[in-house]
Amino acid sequence: MSTIDTSGPATERAARSRGPIPKSELAVAAVLGGLGVFALVDAHTIAVPASASAVGPRAFPYAVGALLVLSAVGLVIALLRGDRGEVEGGEDVDTDGGADWAAVLKLTGSFAALCVLVEPLGWLIAASVMFTGAAWTLGARPWWRALLVALVLNTVVQILFTQLLGVYLPAGPLEGVPGLG
Amino acid sequence: MGDVGALLAGFETALQPQYLLFAVIGVLLGTAVGVLPGIGPAMTLALLLPLTYSLDPTAAFIMFAGIYYGGMYGGSTTSILLNTPGESASIITALEGNKMAKAGRGAAALATAALGSFVAGTIATVALSLVAPTVAKLAVQLGPPDYVALAVLAFLTVAAMLGSSPARGISSLALGLFISVIGTDSLTGQQRFTLGLPTLGDGIDIVIVAVGFFAVGEALHVASRLRRGPIPLVPITGKWFTKQDFRRSWKPWLRGTVIGFPIGTIPAGGAELGTFLSYATERKLSQHKEQFGHGAIEGVAGPEAANNASAAGVLVPLLTLGLPTGATAAIMLAAFQSYGIQPGPTLFTEQSDLVWALIASLYIGNVLLLVLNLPLVGVWVKVLRLPRPYLYAGILTFAALGVYAVGASVEDLVLLFILGGIGWAMRSFGFPVAPAIVGLILGPIAEEQLRRTLAISQGDPTALVTSPFAAVVYCLVVVAFVGSQWLKRRQARLDAAVFAVAQASTTPGGPTAPVDDSRLASTARASSKEDGQ
Repeated sequence: MSTIDTSGPATERAARSRGPIPKSELAVAAVLGGLGVFALVDAHTIAVPASASAVGPRAFPYAVGALLVLSAVGLVIALLRGDRGEVEGGEDVDTDGGADWAAVLKLTGSFAALCVLVEPLGWLIAASVMFTGAAWTLGARPWWRALLVALVLNTVVQILFTQLLGVYLPAGPLEGVPGLG
Repeated sequence: MGDVGALLAGFETALQPQYLLFAVIGVLLGTAVGVLPGIGPAMTLALLLPLTYSLDPTAAFIMFAGIYYGGMYGGSTTSILLNTPGESASIITALEGNKMAKAGRGAAALATAALGSFVAGTIATVALSLVAPTVAKLAVQLGPPDYVALAVLAFLTVAAMLGSSPARGISSLALGLFISVIGTDSLTGQQRFTLGLPTLGDGIDIVIVAVGFFAVGEALHVASRLRRGPIPLVPITGKWFTKQDFRRSWKPWLRGTVIGFPIGTIPAGGAELGTFLSYATERKLSQHKEQFGHGAIEGVAGPEAANNASAAGVLVPLLTLGLPTGATAAIMLAAFQSYGIQPGPTLFTEQSDLVWALIASLYIGNVLLLVLNLPLVGVWVKVLRLPRPYLYAGILTFAALGVYAVGASVEDLVLLFILGGIGWAMRSFGFPVAPAIVGLILGPIAEEQLRRTLAISQGDPTALVTSPFAAVVYCLVVVAFVGSQWLKRRQARLDAAVFAVAQASTTPGGPTAPVDDSRLASTARASSKEDGQ
């Protein structure tokens, strides 16, 4: 199978480098291979009922596990040949420089707040907390303006979804307020 | 001529006032979300999918048709007016359009994109109406091994065509297939890869994966590498559309349509290839070769037309075979499945009303796009000016809302964020997301057909290749692989040339350097002289 052959022209668009392979890229290949090994081992534990035909519930998981392991190997070969992962570009993405981990952690915190708060405090409040946190993380100042935007946006969402689209969103302490509950 | 009657019946449905309203809402929402930077058509569909859940299937698909075409179109406005390099898929289209806008001909660029999209979209939808029923009639005869072969073809071409190298594409595909296996086996009821967690027992909803990979993944990606500073919007200036512009645009529109439609119908990785081939063609045929790289209208007209024509082409394999050829089509397929409808050869006979209403609303959506978009361009510019912190906080909010609205489950939210983290990692390490989505949605179909084949043949694996159709498809896999590598090499060469031009005109002190402007100003003078003739 030549699909993992990277000597072809396909890699011309990928970044080429003769320097040492970054550890993080090897780690990605290791994670992929690890997932494949897990799939192969776990596939072995899938119960096969007597009624199963020639190909039971295990065959496809085995194939997927094998494909994961093979692609991890292919990735390592590609890395050895100079293929380097390129950060995906975008209109708002600055590909120079490294990742801002602090921002990602703050964003994770904001999202975790939503998960924890959405049932006790309802969608409007929990989602507004997340929106404010995320916007502030990305540079919105002052914070109360972000909060104001968040409250207006989520009030509209709460009314639109519960009243017009008939979709359930928890109201929390605002239960019983007309239009929100 | 039963198809014409069916199409007219479809128009009768789609033109009812309430359905027309859904079409308008779909086009407006699709364009508005599509205009937002960083949001492609696949993400637009994934984000707006939950909105359609409470509608009846006909209304939902009419709205979907609008969102699909609107999302495709919205991106072109972004690339013309926003002066930052986007992803490689939009660079071909963006290059000339953005240069035209900087040279004071933004209005003409937007106009040729809108008119070209309309012309190409309409012709391609006619082609879809003619080709799809015929393909469906032929496809009725296909058996399980033939579908396995088609799935293999789609897997390999999508993995090989998208992304920087086949190794990365296949890795992404394998990840998508792995996620598709998680849950309960549909044939024997056994738990697979669930780690004993009840949440995973029913498998992971496709909407959660798509929204996680596209929306949350993109938000995290941008958050980690946000481009600071003011938003470099190019103001819209110049005449809208002159006779000279029309003379230079109409042939590229038609050529773009002819190139784009067939490319959309084959699993070649979606619209990107069509736009690139159209750009190369126009550059070769143009009498204004020296303008290419500095804002040649042909370089906007052709690729834009090809883009929209392939959007219609993509629907041929999707509706007749249930075969998604890219991420956008895969999410469309997921939408069908959420209504319990399985696209395939029987769709045209069993759900004839729905399919023809969908096709009719594609025609209507095209007209609506033309009528609404140019007058509303001021609104889209405001959308582009949205401060980035609010934009990405809003994307996160709507991603969470879409997932939470489906099942009101906090576990789904946690899963969404984990998948978003994986999507972010893929973007950071240069893995394409689209093959994972295609693997996720096509994986279960491939497995079911594979097991059905082997059950019929009582375990004899040669049954997979002895069907003549399947054998032909496997030969095509080989041809497609060789062909895709050839095309990629050409694309790489063109990319290199394009980047060289872009670099040459932007390096001295950034995109707004005086050197750049004076050179563009002279181009602008040259083209305004032509306009006056």
